[in-house]
This record gives sequence, structure tokens and C-alpha cells, in this order.
Amino acid sequence: MTTSLVILAAEGGSDESLQLLPDTAELIWGIVGFALLFALLWRVAFPSLNQMLDQRQQAIQGRLTEAEEIRTEAEELRRQYQEQLRDARSRADEIVEEAKSDAERIREQKVSDAEQEAQSIRERAREDAEAERGRLVQQLRSQVAALSVDLAGRIVHAELDEQQHRSLVDDYIDRLSSMN
Amino acid sequence: MTALLAAVEYGGDFTLPPVGELFNFESALPLGINRTVVLTLLATLAAAALFLVAFSNAKVVPGKLQLVAESIVEFIREQIVLQIIGVDGLKFVPLLTTMFMFIWFNNLLEITPFVNFPTTSRMALPFFLALLSWAVFVGLGFRHHGLGYLKDVAFPPGVPWPIYVLLTPIELVSTFVLRPFTLAIRLFANMVAGHILLTIVFLATHAFLALKFPGIIVGVLTLIAGPLAVGFELFIASLQAYIFVILTAVYISGALHPEH
Amino acid sequence: MEGSLNAIGYGLSAIGPGIGIGILIGKAVEAMARQPEAAGMVRTNMFIGIAIVEALALLGFVLAFALAGGG
Repeated sequence: MTTSLVILAAEGGSDESLQLLPDTAELIWGIVGFALLFALLWRVAFPSLNQMLDQRQQAIQGRLTEAEEIRTEAEELRRQYQEQLRDARSRADEIVEEAKSDAERIREQKVSDAEQEAQSIRERAREDAEAERGRLVQQLRSQVAALSVDLAGRIVHAELDEQQHRSLVDDYIDRLSSMN
Repeated sequence: MTALLAAVEYGGDFTLPPVGELFNFESALPLGINRTVVLTLLATLAAAALFLVAFSNAKVVPGKLQLVAESIVEFIREQIVLQIIGVDGLKFVPLLTTMFMFIWFNNLLEITPFVNFPTTSRMALPFFLALLSWAVFVGLGFRHHGLGYLKDVAFPPGVPWPIYVLLTPIELVSTFVLRPFTLAIRLFANMVAGHILLTIVFLATHAFLALKFPGIIVGVLTLIAGPLAVGFELFIASLQAYIFVILTAVYISGALHPEH
Repeated sequence: MEGSLNAIGYGLSAIGPGIGIGILIGKAVEAMARQPEAAGMVRTNMFIGIAIVEALALLGFVLAFALAGGG
């Protein structure tokens, strides 16, 4: 009883039972306090709060609009870029196509040139060979003629006329060549 | 009421003082100002200071204090007013916020160090607040529906008429008498009980912890119980403020749209 | 054996609300588990219900003191 109650003695009142009826002074002061608080909140705090909320709403609205604008702009840019990209791609395709056809053309050109050249080389070679053959035949013919004349002269010991001799040999060779 | 605990058997001298000594204070100053009045005004001042400081220079991007105050207001608006009354109840947000802050801060005095006395455990504040709540919802009922409000209360629709013999008195009494009565009693009794609980725990710790075995066991237990009780009372203090406001909102809603 | 009948009276007055609040919260939790999207509404109504039921126990508590006399 002693120690515990010393603490309480300071705040101890006169009434020993729990008071169920409101104390008049406390009631009045409580009403005053509540009224003051309500007045302050209603007249000062809440208008300020609402003003701030309006500002915040405007700010958020502004940001949203801004964001929407930026988004539209970005969308536009993206569209442009895509278009450019598509153009560039088709252009590149064109270029490649062109290059391909050029290459084909050049290749054909080259092939035909080469063929022509080969043809002409073959032609020339044939002509050369032909000419050579003609020359050789001519040479052979004259040598054969000379040799035959010489040979025949030696065999028959008779001197034939150079002119007759030659025509004889020519006949022989002509016959020879017409045979092969 | 003097509750004598079994401490004597263990050689202790633990006795609860008469309960009135826990709650009744002499007025030490003129105008009936006693400890309760001073504490009430201090709690009011603290609540007012919180809101004034938070909103006097309200910024779009809130600081910490503003965020706290904003979340309180938002809680009242979203969780209580919009959910229970609806959009037409938005004009009651300042009143309900004031009620909430006033009750909450006065309740929190219970666990404030060096104060430890909830001013709502005196009948004056619960009585006034319940009377205010009653006046608001009855006034609203009569203003919106005239004398039809009485009829709405006394004769709820959708009941066969013989039931009214039983129902009408019950409805009238429960609406106009029991509602404010229970509002006041609920807040008052919760805070009285909390204060007594904390007093018992603290006094028992004080008395028993000085003893030798086996009395000291009780002291240790109550020492552990102390912080737990404080935490529990923090919860109760907040819950009672919430319940008082939410019931007021329910009553206002009933007065505005009696068909529900 | 010393004591107060008031305390017994308070104990009795707490039985009914105790059971009531138990049922109430149980049902509310059930409802919240069944329909989590309605949890906010259920919780609010649960608190209102608790507040109304609790009043009975509190009446007993206050009367225990009010009728104490010299107790």
C-alpha cells in the first residue's frame, strides 16, 4: 500500500469511485478544444489541402498531356524512320538488282568477246595453217619437180626440156593431190 | 473498489488504489482547469499543430509531415466517407477528420510517456463527442427528410405490419437513445479499461520486482507484460478512434439515405 | 473468500459478446478468404459489427464500477 500509493497520491482526487457523469469544466474545455481544432482544420488546413490537391491534379494532368504529346511525337518520328528505312531498303534492293543485271550483262559481254576472240584466233590459225600448207605444197611441188626432173634425167639420160618436164611433173602432182 | 491481489501471501503489499483516484483530479487552477483539461488542450494543440504545419505550406511534392497528414485525410476520405456514405458525404470529411484526430490524440495520451492518462477516459469528452455525432445525424435526417425521417426510422420498410408493434419502439430507442449512449460508453469504457490495465501492470511490476523469490516471478512477468500492454493499448487507442468515426459515418449515411 | 459480485457480473456480461465477436470475426475472415476483392468492405462491416456487439460487454464493465458503491 505504501510505495504504490505514494506515486498515485500526487494525482489522487477526492472521489473514490469511477465518475460516470461528465465534469462540467472538462466538458466545456473539451468543447472549446474541439471547436478550435475543427475551426482550424475547416478554415485553414482543408482549404490549403484542397488548393494543393488542385495544384497537384493540374501538375499531374500537365505531365500527362506532355507525356501524351511526346508520345505522339515519338510515334510520328518512328513512322518516319520506318518509312525511310523501307525506302532505303527498297533502294538497296534496286541497287543490288541493278548490280546483278550489270554483272550478268558484263559477264555475257565478256563471254561473247572471248568467244569471238577465240573464233578469230581459230580462224587466223586456220588461215595461217592453210597458207603454210599452200606454201609447203608449193615448195614441195617445185622440189619434187626439180628432183623428178633430175632423177628422170639421170635415169633416161635424156635431157628433157625444162618446160615440158615441169608440166609433166605438175600433172602428176595435180593428180596426186586430187587423189587425197 | 479496492482489489486486493494475492501479493500478501508472498510478503508483498500490492494494492490497487480506489479506482476514482486514477481518474478524478482536483482542479488546481481557476476556471476548473485540472490535469485532464490541460492534457485535452495539449492533445488538441498537437493535432492542430500537425495539420497546420503540414498544410500551411502545402507542396505538390509532399514532405514527410505533409505525407503523414495527407494519408490521414485520405484514409478518412477513402476508407470511411466514400466507402460508407458515398460521394455526397465528402462535405463531412473535415468534421470526421477533426473527430478522428481529436479522439486519437486524446487516446494516445494513454501511452504517452510521463503522461499516461487518456483524457477520453473521463466522461466529458466521450459524452460531448457522442452528443455531437447524435446532433449531426439527427439534424441531417430532419433537414433532408423533414418529419418523414421519424417515419423512416420508426417504420423501416419491408416488414409485415404486425411486426411494427415490436419493431417501432426498438428502432426509436436504438436510434435516438442507444446510439449516442453506446458511442460514449464504448470510447469511455475502452479507455478506462486500458488505463486500469496499464496501471495494474506498472504498479505490479513496481511492487513485485522488489521482492524475493517467489514474488519476483510475478514482477518479471508483469515487466514483460508492460511493453506488450502498451503496444496493445496503442492498437486499442487507434481502433477506438477509427470505430467512433466509422460509426458516426454509418449514422450519417443512415440519415442521408434511410432506404439502406 | 473476499471479492466483488460486480466482477462476476462483468465476467458474465463478457461471455455473450465474446462468443459473438468470435463468430463475427470468423465469418468475416471466411468471407474475405472467399472473396478477397470485397475484403475492404467486409473489414469495415466487421468493425462496425464488433463495435455494436462489444457495447454489451462494455456496459457490463462500466456497470461493474458504477454499481460498486463501497465495493
